[in-house]
Amino acid sequence: MADEGTPRSAQLAVAGARSATRDALTASSHQDRVTGAVFFALLLLGLGTALLGLVTILIWSFVEGAPRLDAELITNGPSTLSPETAGFRTAILGSIYVILGVIVLIVPLGVGAAIYLEEYADPERWWNRVIELNIQNLAGVPSIVYGILGLAFIVRGPLDLGFVVAAASLTVALLVLPTVIIASREAIRAVPRSIREGALALGATEWQTTSRQVLPIAVPGILTGVILAVARAIGEAAPLLLVGAVTFATFNPSLFEGGYSTLPVLIYNYASRPQEEFRVLAAAGVIVMLVLLLAMNSFAVWLRNRYEQNW
Amino acid sequence: MRIGLQDELDALEAGFQETGEIVLRSIRGVVDALRMQDVELCDEVIAFDDEVDDRYLAIEKQVEMVLARQTPVATDLRLVLALLHNALHLERIGDQCVTIAKLTKLSSHLNTKQAVMESLVDMGERCGEMVKVSLTAFAERDVQQARELHQLDELVDRANRQVFQEVLGYVHDAEALEWGMRQITAARCFERIGDNAVDIGEQTAFLVTGEFAEFTDASH
Amino acid sequence: MQTPQIDSARIAETSHGLERSEIERREKVFTVSDLAVHYGGMPAIEEVTLDVHRNTVTAFIGPSGCGKSTFIRCFNRMNDLIPAAKVSGTVLYHGADLYGRDVDPVEVRRRIGMVFQKPNPFPKSIYDNVAFGPRVLSMKGSLDERVEGALRHAALWEEVKDRLKDSALGLSGGQQQRLCIARCLAVEPDVILMDEPASALDPISTTRIEDLMHGLKREYTIVIVTHNMQQAARVADMTAFFSVVVAEDGSARRGVLVEYDTTAKIFTTPSDKRTEDYVTGRFG
Repeated sequence: MADEGTPRSAQLAVAGARSATRDALTASSHQDRVTGAVFFALLLLGLGTALLGLVTILIWSFVEGAPRLDAELITNGPSTLSPETAGFRTAILGSIYVILGVIVLIVPLGVGAAIYLEEYADPERWWNRVIELNIQNLAGVPSIVYGILGLAFIVRGPLDLGFVVAAASLTVALLVLPTVIIASREAIRAVPRSIREGALALGATEWQTTSRQVLPIAVPGILTGVILAVARAIGEAAPLLLVGAVTFATFNPSLFEGGYSTLPVLIYNYASRPQEEFRVLAAAGVIVMLVLLLAMNSFAVWLRNRYEQNW
Repeated sequence: MRIGLQDELDALEAGFQETGEIVLRSIRGVVDALRMQDVELCDEVIAFDDEVDDRYLAIEKQVEMVLARQTPVATDLRLVLALLHNALHLERIGDQCVTIAKLTKLSSHLNTKQAVMESLVDMGERCGEMVKVSLTAFAERDVQQARELHQLDELVDRANRQVFQEVLGYVHDAEALEWGMRQITAARCFERIGDNAVDIGEQTAFLVTGEFAEFTDASH
Repeated sequence: MQTPQIDSARIAETSHGLERSEIERREKVFTVSDLAVHYGGMPAIEEVTLDVHRNTVTAFIGPSGCGKSTFIRCFNRMNDLIPAAKVSGTVLYHGADLYGRDVDPVEVRRRIGMVFQKPNPFPKSIYDNVAFGPRVLSMKGSLDERVEGALRHAALWEEVKDRLKDSALGLSGGQQQRLCIARCLAVEPDVILMDEPASALDPISTTRIEDLMHGLKREYTIVIVTHNMQQAARVADMTAFFSVVVAEDGSARRGVLVEYDTTAKIFTTPSDKRTEDYVTGRFG
């Protein structure tokens, strides 16, 4: 590459500069490379461990429950006498009723609370700071505590509804409400301030700004939060045991009367019986639950991706 | 685009051309006053120069404003600078007319000599023509037309020399000499008007080409 | 003969800007007396007194931190949205106290519109963006006509008339800003405030917006904050120069109004040395 006319000293200088630059730009020391590889290996190990648990459940439940994957699983009610034909019908209906009740409660309450906290509350005021702190705490309270709360105040106590589906809905709603509030707040907070300013500067009231600009943009995030809360709620067993999810309801449930059962509770029941066939049934129930949960979570992810906006 | 700048430049140039028209009127007036030895017309021309001066100051102020507010560049900047220079040239032409008018008044009581008179009137009409051409060339951004000005200037210079030669011959006639001396000065003023017209032409070339060059002319 | 066609009415108001006497003959839209804004006790800007006249463009210039953006937000009570901000002194709008007890900030903002530094179109269609204002304010009359009128006024109609249903986010930066101007015009304001409207735009879009202001000021009163003083020189009739005053111990910085005069005067013979230093670029 050097010209004939270039003196030898210049050629040497160029070659020297070239190799020095190459050295400077090449990868770091051997020590750094080893550290990087070890770290990467540890990461993979962590991920693998987590996946291992999930995979184990999936495999076990499919292997165990495969024999009982038939239509009767869903159409038949529970039975202690004939496990071969027993099903989950009443429990599935019970779960659906409870969940519908939960949705009806958490959407207005959760979204409303989030709007208040984000748009209207003055963060300087002490009571707003107290609320702020406690919502985070409530999300972490063990679900059984909500069961006790439900038993004391909803089933008995002031509301005195008795062991009914409505009581279960209320209890579970309280349980997942913090999740919805937190998710909704994040969604509302994600709406850029400039949108609000733009709307207000045109002479819109706070409510018009919130309802016509902020909420429509935040809806996907809010929906995701609601769906995730519902997915969690479906799987709750402990608090429902306390508020009367009778483990063996053979009749279809109704809202304000009589007993009911839910899917996780019935799975628990079947699983605790000695007969082999009941175990198979339980595993089949687990498959049903997993399918349901997978569907809901996938839907949440799809929804979020569909409406994601780049600012 | 840049409506504000364009409007200001248009206004500036229109003001300049209007001032040009007024100066042309001054030149015609003073030539008529000279030819007809009309003292009243001389007074009018002298008084009229105030208008020329006011317009010059207004243009100067406007140029300051355009430069401060619009920061013109490239052709726009050259236009503004050319207009500033040319306004000054017009103002000088106006002053020359005043001088000629004053001289005419001073020597109005003396007899005129036809030869010199013809030369003077000829010079007056030619340099009036030159100013008109220079204004037109500027408006049309016509460099060729502007360059031709210095040929016309040659004729004016020639007439100036003729007047001088002619007056040299009056050495034996005291009255004629007095009159002739004044006319030499007047001729010199006309010659200066011609030079100013050439200068306006040079600004046209500057505006179009971006380079300032004096048109080669022996009298410069 | 190539003498350019002259619109003498337009020339009268553009050649060296409006004269001071002509400006002061016009009705006062804003009268500011001894205004100060404090954030959590610390002054951001103090002792501001000036008048803004109808159908003029008034520019606020000055170095960063001099409080000009804070000041302009006093005119449409946007500072109300910041809990820690406290406004003292008086701002009269057509003679009435803007911060009076029974004054509704929402009504204020309907009449005094604002265009922001970074274009902020709503994530809706172009049509819905412009229609938002008239809809929330329940303005009577044909919405289609209002939208078209506003877009024409903002010199955007020709570019978007065939795609009104498209998302506003698909427009270029300069178009988005003109859309924000159209949105503001749709509610028929009295005053348009612009907080550095062109600072996020390229030079051609900037020139478009400046040309737009030329036309808009015939019907509206415009107040603009700009950190580009040449822009103020080009568009404004009156210019206010703000500067920063540092406390003796160097801790607090606050903004003050240094000089307020016709743009022609500010940029040719400013009275205050601080103004001269700033406009000639020798500041700091």
